[in-house]
Order: sequence, then structure tokens, then C-alpha cells
Amino acid sequence: MSEVTAPQRPFAHSGGTGGMIRLALVNLLLSILTLSLYRFWGKTRVRRLLWGGTTAWSDPVEYTGTGKELFTGFLIVLFLIYLPLAAGFGWAQVLVTTGNPLGGLAISLLYLLTVLLVAVGLYRARRYQMSRTRWRGIRGGQTGSGWGYALRSLAVWLAVPLSLGWAWPWGEMWLARYRFGNTTFGDRPLRCDATASGLYGRFALVWISGLVFTAAAVILVGAMEMAVEQEEYGEAVAGMVFTLLLLLVAAVTLVLPWAWYRAGFYRNLAAGIEFEGSRFSADTGAWRLMRLVAGNLLLTLFSLGILRPWASLRTFRYACAVIGVEGEPDFAAVHRSDDSGPKTGEGLAAVFDGAGEF
Amino acid sequence: MNGLEADRPGRFSDGRSAAARKVVVRVLATGLEIRGSDGFLIAVWKAGDLLADGDWPEKRGVRLRCASEPDARLAVEDAYVIREVLPQPAKPPSRRRLALVLGCLLGAGMLAGLMLALAPVSKLLAHLVPAGLERQWGESIAGGLAGQMKACDGRDGMRVLDALARRLAEPLPADRRHVNIHVLQSRDVNALALPGGEIILFSGLIAKAEGPDELAGVLAHELTHIGERHVTAAMIRALGVGVLATMITGDASGLVAGGVGAVLAGTYSREDESAADSGALALLEMAGIGSDGLARFFRRLETMEGRPGQVLAWLGTHPEAGRRAAAVEARRGAAPRLPALSEADWLAVKRVCSKPKP
Repeated sequence: MSEVTAPQRPFAHSGGTGGMIRLALVNLLLSILTLSLYRFWGKTRVRRLLWGGTTAWSDPVEYTGTGKELFTGFLIVLFLIYLPLAAGFGWAQVLVTTGNPLGGLAISLLYLLTVLLVAVGLYRARRYQMSRTRWRGIRGGQTGSGWGYALRSLAVWLAVPLSLGWAWPWGEMWLARYRFGNTTFGDRPLRCDATASGLYGRFALVWISGLVFTAAAVILVGAMEMAVEQEEYGEAVAGMVFTLLLLLVAAVTLVLPWAWYRAGFYRNLAAGIEFEGSRFSADTGAWRLMRLVAGNLLLTLFSLGILRPWASLRTFRYACAVIGVEGEPDFAAVHRSDDSGPKTGEGLAAVFDGAGEF
Repeated sequence: MNGLEADRPGRFSDGRSAAARKVVVRVLATGLEIRGSDGFLIAVWKAGDLLADGDWPEKRGVRLRCASEPDARLAVEDAYVIREVLPQPAKPPSRRRLALVLGCLLGAGMLAGLMLALAPVSKLLAHLVPAGLERQWGESIAGGLAGQMKACDGRDGMRVLDALARRLAEPLPADRRHVNIHVLQSRDVNALALPGGEIILFSGLIAKAEGPDELAGVLAHELTHIGERHVTAAMIRALGVGVLATMITGDASGLVAGGVGAVLAGTYSREDESAADSGALALLEMAGIGSDGLARFFRRLETMEGRPGQVLAWLGTHPEAGRRAAAVEARRGAAPRLPALSEADWLAVKRVCSKPKP
């Protein structure tokens, strides 16, 4: 403890909003013209802008993925996984309508498989993105296995309802630990020992406010029914008032505690990550985090997803602003790795969900 | 010194480790000499291999790469001299534009081809579905409908209807000839053909029919649906549309697929309806009933459609009743040789839903 280095903020983002909006609109136009096949190339251009605007220790980050890789990944998954799955679901549906008891079983198995595949896909998408990220000419990477991650996710999904929600902070952190503990830069891994300790206080508030919200909703419904019965208000007016009140109650009882919990989660996670002797930190506050997430949600919703790149840009800016690192890692000791990553890009994630820009 | 030759400070990463070191870059006409601050020569980059890699805004410099050392990165301060020796990034915009145009055309062509092929291919596939499976499926749907609505079971009326259907179905292929008729209590003026050989008549239709020839016309129409396996083909088509829409847009939420499916389903089903109308004419002709009844029924539907507030299930997926009537009238065949039903039989059909007298 002789030398305590104050955390610096080595990351910065210089991307302009105007350029990103322009790119989003050009991408929209080209996607329409190509029946949306352009989206792979469009997404790649957005990522170039997002990555390229980021500097770390004043050297820029690069994104080296291509639209072609994303497109081939998509095609492979489409034919090898999506279409067979769709056929399987169709077949199971026929079994169900003909009253075959195997039908229900087949559908649940296929559903489970799909959910697992989504988790595998998200993990593999991360591997692709890390392997296409360079800084000072050195590539990032992601070790670990997609199926291992999917099975862990399954365990969390099972544990959360069984524990009435209380397994969530632990489970979420466990998965994050797997993702970040398996992240590499060059030939060196990140280390992640983040735990959920200290998070349960915040989570208890979330849990209790969930109960409060449920109670408030029940009372509101009762009040509305009474108002309608006594014919004080019309049904339409009562419905609107009810929805507005419910939204207000939700904002106070659900969103605020949740934002407070999320801020703590990111703080814990960043503090648990270490690279080459330097520890990370994240100065996330509930209020700013909520503004970021709510703003992104509104941007995406009101633009029908067209301005999602802008939302991503805001996320990058925010991350660059809050992430700190204690001292400078010994980068001279980090060498390039021989693993050049997957040949094709994130097909599973591209098929099973919109996945966003990252 | 001839102006081009100059020493500039810079930063260099060799691409083997993630270290960045301070260097001195000597700009020569033939390229760059990169030396450590101790004067030791690190690398020589030929002018022809130089690649522009963006700006270094805070030092008014440029970033460079070298084609022969793709992993190495160099940033040079105050680099106006280097901008002059740098090869202009020669992008072939015409080729990319050509690829884009080709992509658009390919996309549009593919879509057009798929839309044209969808109907015949699904018809073909429908004939490959085992008749037993199809029948089972239709029976289970009919059972479900009968459970929701009250089934009519006037014994004489049902016997007459079965006989009429058997008489009309005579010219159909042997495995499609066997049909089950269900009459369900509903005010809808409608009839349905289900997969296999189930025909559902709603009591509203029987009430609105003003003569046995009209009912025979509707039955012949539904029998053609069954003979040509329209329902099964429509299911396969809907599945195909969903898969294609998901494939092209990458939207797995089913939102796009549902919308496109609904629009296309209307178009295709109107084609099926017209086919069933002309098939019905042939069946009526062969049974000696003639087409006047069917034409009269469509005329009646037309006036009912004109009435506001009259919700008819025939709408939307069916062509306009007036146009159907006109099409039937235009192909009016020989005058009826035989009555569809005797007076007594017709009365029995009309009473199929009334309570049996105690």
C-alpha cells in the first residue's frame, strides 16, 4: 500500500451526434432499397464509428469486422439452425393439433433449445466483437464456451423464480463474471472477482418496492372499478387516469430503486475487474444511469428503432465518462495472441434478436 | 534540406506488444524512418506501403499504417509534410455502387420469384400431406368449434345435407369424396371448409338461403376447397410467408411476419375463393343443379354487404360478392335439370336447428 494511484479516466469518446444520425438515416434508406439485406453492412459502419470514436490512453480503438462476415454468419445460422427449428415447431404443432401427447413435450423441448441457443448466440456474438476489436494493433478475444454460458444462464433462470427473485443479484453477477473473466486482450486475460456482496441491500429495496407496486396496482384497480360502478366517470376516462397513475407509481416504486440497484451492480462489476495489475472502477450514479437508459428507450421507441445507433453512441459516451483505471497496466507485457477469432460473425444473435449495435 | 525531409515526434506501436513508445519519424521522399528516442532505427516504411489511418486531432497529426506491417500503428505530430506524401485513399466508389445496385435488384428479384413460386409450391406440398393426418387435423378443429358453439342435430335435416353433399362430391377424386357436414348455431352467414373433409355450415346461412339451389351452390363451393386441398395449402403458404419475411428482415419477433402474412393471405385466399367458385360451377353442372342458385345467393350477399353495420365473415378474405355473382352469371351453364332437393327435404334442412318436437 505504499503507492496508491488514483483512478484515471483513460477512455474518451469523440464521436459526434450529427454524423451518427446521418449514418442511421443513410442505413435506413439503403436497408429499404435492399429489402433490409444492407443491415449487416450498415451495422458494421455504425460499429466502426462507435469503436473508432473511442480512445484509450489517447490511442484509438478500431473495429475490424466486415458486413460480409455478419452476412455469412446470418446465412449459416438461418439454414442450419433457424429453418430446422421452424420446421420442428411446425411439426410439433401438428402433433399437438392431432392430440398426440408427444406434441406438448416436443414443443417444450424445442422452446428450451431455442432459449439456450439465444444465450449461446449472445456469447458468440461477444466473441466475434472482441476478436474484431483492436487497440494499438492488438486484438481482443473471448475464451470460454457458449454452451457453458448458456447452461449457466439456464441455472440462473431456474434459480430466480425458485428463490422468489432473491437469486437475481448473485446470478447476474455470476454470469457477468464468466463473461469478463473470459475476456482477453492480446495474450493476457482480464481477471474478474466481482461478487454480489453489498448489492443485497439495494436489491431488497427493489424487491420490497415490487411488493408495494403490486399492492398499489391492486388498490388502483379497485378504486377504478368503484368509480366506474358509481358512474362518476366514463370507462374510457377512468382507464386513462388509471394508466397514467399506474405509470407514475411504477416510475417511483420500480424505476428509481432499480436504477439505484443497477448503478451499484456496475460499480461492483467494474471494481472486480483487473487487467495486468490495474483495477477498473465505474463511477455510475443512479440518476445519470436512469437518464441514459430512459433516454435511449425513448429515442429507440419514438424512432421505431431507426435512431438506435444514437442510443448506442450515448451508451459509449457514458461508459467512457465513468470507467476509471488505477494506473496504467503494463502494456509492454501484453503480446498479440495467435487466436484470430471466429471466421464469421454472430449469426445466432443476428437471427434470434435484433441484438443492437453490440 | 528540401522541405520534405523533416524529423517529427510521434508514437509507435509495433503490433507485437501493446506498448506505445515515443519515436522520432524522419520523413524522406522514399518513405519514413522510425527511430527510438535513443536514435536506434526501429522500422522503415516505404512510401508506397503507407496507409492513412485517420487524424490525431490533439497533436495536429496523422495516424499511419504500413501495408507490409499490418499490425503496427504510428501516429505523427504536426504532420502536414506527411499529408503530401501520403497516397490519397483511392476508393473505387463505382464498384461499390454497382454492388449496391445489384444487391437491390437481386433482393427485389428474389422477392418477386418467391412470391410467384409460393402459391404453386404450397399447393404441391399440400398434396403430399398424408390424407389421414389431414383428416385427423380437420376433425380435431371441427370438434373444437362444435365445443364452442352449439351443434344442430335435426336428424332428417342432417341426413338430407349428407345426401346432397354426396351427390355433389361425385366427381371429386375418390379420397376426397367422403365429407362430414356439421351445422353450428351462429348468426354468421358463412360456411367453412376445414382440412380433410369437414364442412361447417352456420345456421345463419341456412336461415338466409331462400332455396335448396342456393345451399347446394355454397356446398359445392366448400367441396371444391376440400377437393383442391385449399386449406392445407393455405396453412403451408402462411408458414412459408412467415419464414421468408423473418429471413429477409431478420425480425424474429414475428411482427413483420404477421403483417406481411395477413396482407398476402388476403390476396392468395381471394384467388382460392375464385377457384372454388368456378369449381362449384362444374360440380353443380354435373349434379344437374345449375348455377342460378349460387348467383342468386351472391346477389343477396351483395345487398347485405351494402348495408352498414352488417358484419360478414365473407368479407376481406373473399372477393366482393357482386363481382362473384357476375362471374357466376357470366358462366351460366345449361338450365337446371333436377331440383337440388325436394320440397319436403328442404323443409327438413330448414328445421335442422329447431328443437325436435316432443
